[in-house]
Amino acid sequence: MEMNAMNVKHVLTTCPYCGTGCNFYLQVVEDKLISVVPCKTDEISRGQLCIKGYNAHAFVQHPDRLKTPLAREHGELRQISWEDALDRLAKEIRRIKEKYGPDSIAFLASAKCTNEENYLFQKLARAVVHTNNVDHCARLCHASTVTGLLYSFGSGAMTNTIPEFGDADFILITGSNTLEAHPIIGSHMLRALDKGAKIVVVDPRDTPLSRLAHIRLSQKPGSDIAWINGMIKVIIDEGLVNEEFVRTRTSEFDKLKEVVMGYTLEMVESIAGVKGKDLSKAARLYAKADRAMVAYAMGVTQHSNGTDIVMALANLAMVTGHLGKESTGLNPLRGQCNVQGSCDSGGLPNLFPGYQRVDDEQVRAKFEQAWGVELPEKPGLTLTCAIKEAALGKLKAMIVFGENVMLSDPDLTHVEEALKELELLAVVDIFPTETTKLAHIVLPAACYAEKDGTFTNTDRAVRLLRKAVDPPGEAMPDWKIACELAKRLGAKGFDFSSPAEIMDEMAKVTPIYGGIDHGRIDRELIRWPCPTKEHKGTRILHAQKFTKGLGTFAPVHHSPPAESPSEEYPFILTTGRNLFQYHTGTMTRRSPKLEREAPEPYAEVNNGDAKRLGISEGDRIMVSSKRGSITLLARVTERIIPGSVFIPFHYAEAAANRLTNAALDPVSKIPELKVCAARIQKG
Amino acid sequence: MREEHGNVGPVMISKGEDPGDVRTDVPYQLITILSNLYPWMTDGKKIAVVTRKCDEKALAEFFKRGYFARDRVIQIGLACNREQIRQCRCSDPVPSVVDIGEPHGGLDTDALSEKLMAMSSEERLRFWEYQFRKCNKCFACTTNCPVCFCDECVLEERTFVPERGVPPGMSFHMIRAYHLSDKCIECGECERSCPAGIPLLTLRKLVARDFKEMYGFSPGDEKTVSPLLTTLEGESLDGDECDEC
Repeated sequence: MEMNAMNVKHVLTTCPYCGTGCNFYLQVVEDKLISVVPCKTDEISRGQLCIKGYNAHAFVQHPDRLKTPLAREHGELRQISWEDALDRLAKEIRRIKEKYGPDSIAFLASAKCTNEENYLFQKLARAVVHTNNVDHCARLCHASTVTGLLYSFGSGAMTNTIPEFGDADFILITGSNTLEAHPIIGSHMLRALDKGAKIVVVDPRDTPLSRLAHIRLSQKPGSDIAWINGMIKVIIDEGLVNEEFVRTRTSEFDKLKEVVMGYTLEMVESIAGVKGKDLSKAARLYAKADRAMVAYAMGVTQHSNGTDIVMALANLAMVTGHLGKESTGLNPLRGQCNVQGSCDSGGLPNLFPGYQRVDDEQVRAKFEQAWGVELPEKPGLTLTCAIKEAALGKLKAMIVFGENVMLSDPDLTHVEEALKELELLAVVDIFPTETTKLAHIVLPAACYAEKDGTFTNTDRAVRLLRKAVDPPGEAMPDWKIACELAKRLGAKGFDFSSPAEIMDEMAKVTPIYGGIDHGRIDRELIRWPCPTKEHKGTRILHAQKFTKGLGTFAPVHHSPPAESPSEEYPFILTTGRNLFQYHTGTMTRRSPKLEREAPEPYAEVNNGDAKRLGISEGDRIMVSSKRGSITLLARVTERIIPGSVFIPFHYAEAAANRLTNAALDPVSKIPELKVCAARIQKG
Repeated sequence: MREEHGNVGPVMISKGEDPGDVRTDVPYQLITILSNLYPWMTDGKKIAVVTRKCDEKALAEFFKRGYFARDRVIQIGLACNREQIRQCRCSDPVPSVVDIGEPHGGLDTDALSEKLMAMSSEERLRFWEYQFRKCNKCFACTTNCPVCFCDECVLEERTFVPERGVPPGMSFHMIRAYHLSDKCIECGECERSCPAGIPLLTLRKLVARDFKEMYGFSPGDEKTVSPLLTTLEGESLDGDECDEC
């Protein structure tokens, strides 16, 4: 057989950006990534991608990639060998553990790493270092979904699947700029729109999707419970409650009724600024539709009462009975390629893999037996609390796998102070970041295109990554780094030769993944729960009964955001994404076609406010909060309600999170990234 | 195309290599895929590619402009099945040589084109405004297009299409429609890959219809030169001298 002279490969893999989980082919020539070809037979992406997907090859072989381990010596990061780096790291972890105890160390898992890697990170924290201090950036995005929906339904994930949006006849979208943040989920919504579905968008900003919606409600940031309770009241008042569903499938309806009855249309309008007539119309459309879906994202979750808002939405879905059937349900859209999976794999301080509680004795006994060690029972620190503890000098070490906390977390000045207090900050990443600048040890990781493993997308589909090219320089996949580190810390149970083997172990201890193995998902699209090898996976949750049995109505009241506008800071600042950049920009800002489309930080200011302040399109403005100031370009628009200002959080040179408030939701500890008080000045 | 991992995707193999489970019923745009690879194929070896009639026309546009060397590309003619012809509302589906598949006749009309032409121009404008408002600027229509082969894409400049803007506005689609008027071979890849479901193939067909009526020219023939490529050679100016200067 003649050898393939050119060595061309088309490698099917999963997109590294949002949580939609589109599959595509990486086009490889001689170990060079040259292009992305959509996969036409993929159920989720159907041969279609967004601009980020088409450019997902562009950053992989960028010259900035970290290629060797680095250690800080005399203030400078210098190249060292892997042996030296891992030895130093293990030695430091041992020293700190002995001196201050295991709970002085925290691990950050990663929504950009695979399930297999996250499984190892939490095993490393729990079984080797003996702490439950393991968390990741899900704390900043959907922590309140996990807590809220666990309470209401018993499972904190999308109840239905992405393709079902295309067959809905009604879709309510709130706090999600779906066409920009989850473009291919948006495309399924557009398919429904083309077929005649009614679309309602509730958002303080005008988004590409809200401009196509039949009803558009612009609520004041931080007023969500008011309009949701108002909508439920309309449904009750007009006799549109699904009585049978409420009677047979739920509990505590009377308590809910008592609370929402106070939310008259007048009251809702005064709190949320939403017109009663439009709200009633939306409520009727939703309650009367046959196939009605609700989708939401950060606009709901990133509040200091995020858990309550999520439960309010769950109440709305349960009142109408739009759950458990095709094209219905309550659907949190998760924002990172594997943020669903990193939660599933136990990258959470209170939960083992598969949402099994660390403080449940039986569960702990099961893991102790599986891993052959005694395990800590006290739930660990969340990411947000770990930062606070570090600032107080109580937390001494952080080992960060693939997160850029120095741009993604609220109140960066405080984060910076906290990280500088640490005796050990080790960061494993693919590029130098704002966080690696502060690290004592930096380890170079392989990216999605350079390793095998799985990502679990937002609709619970466990999707394979297939290695297309070798990592640059000495970079290694995170799972190997975790194994090497664990071995140096004297641990057993880290002798894995492939991610497939790690998944086999994870499946044994994680009932919702019980039937998952790489061989199966190489050929089939499987969504969890998938308890056995014979099980086909689950498209629709809560079909016959809720995961917890009966769904629980949570009577929740509106409460104002932690910080309200004042004379000094009269604007409400809200943050988010744009279509072309992704999170802290480490990947997209190194992708020329994406950077070209959105190269500069900007603030969206309402045109009326701008006129009053003498600000024109393109002016340099300073936006300040109690915590800091940034300077950036003004984009003057009618697409944001008066009194609000929007800043995307992608840009290190004008980091929105210098301004945001680290006020936490008491239940989920998610910070209020969506609301803080701010001031705008020209120049 | 090959069936693998429960999906069907493009594959390139060497002579004698086992192609695996071959499939020809999933419409990958192989000429676009080949054009990504071609600049890397410096060994001068020949490349065989499965070609539908539209692909054959796309190759003609490449050869005509000298982008592919004619003697390096071997065409394996694929006749589209009835369903594919229906999806593309294709009037010309049979390749010059059929190596794979049964030839089926083409369709004369595109129902949406007819519907649009029966509308008033205001109604038609409203229709397209709604369609273009769904555009999410993914550039799939250009990325996957076999005959989008400019070195610098006018849609990536800021003169007509400002950065950031989503949707990108009418000019984005109009520029593209006219830019391809003497190249588009109606493969339908833009429409299939559009996440917004914009009926881009119908837009193409309407422009192609006008172009044929006005200039008697249809793209995809290696021998005919685009009427947009004119020279002033041999044309008398009929004494219309310019008095301005």
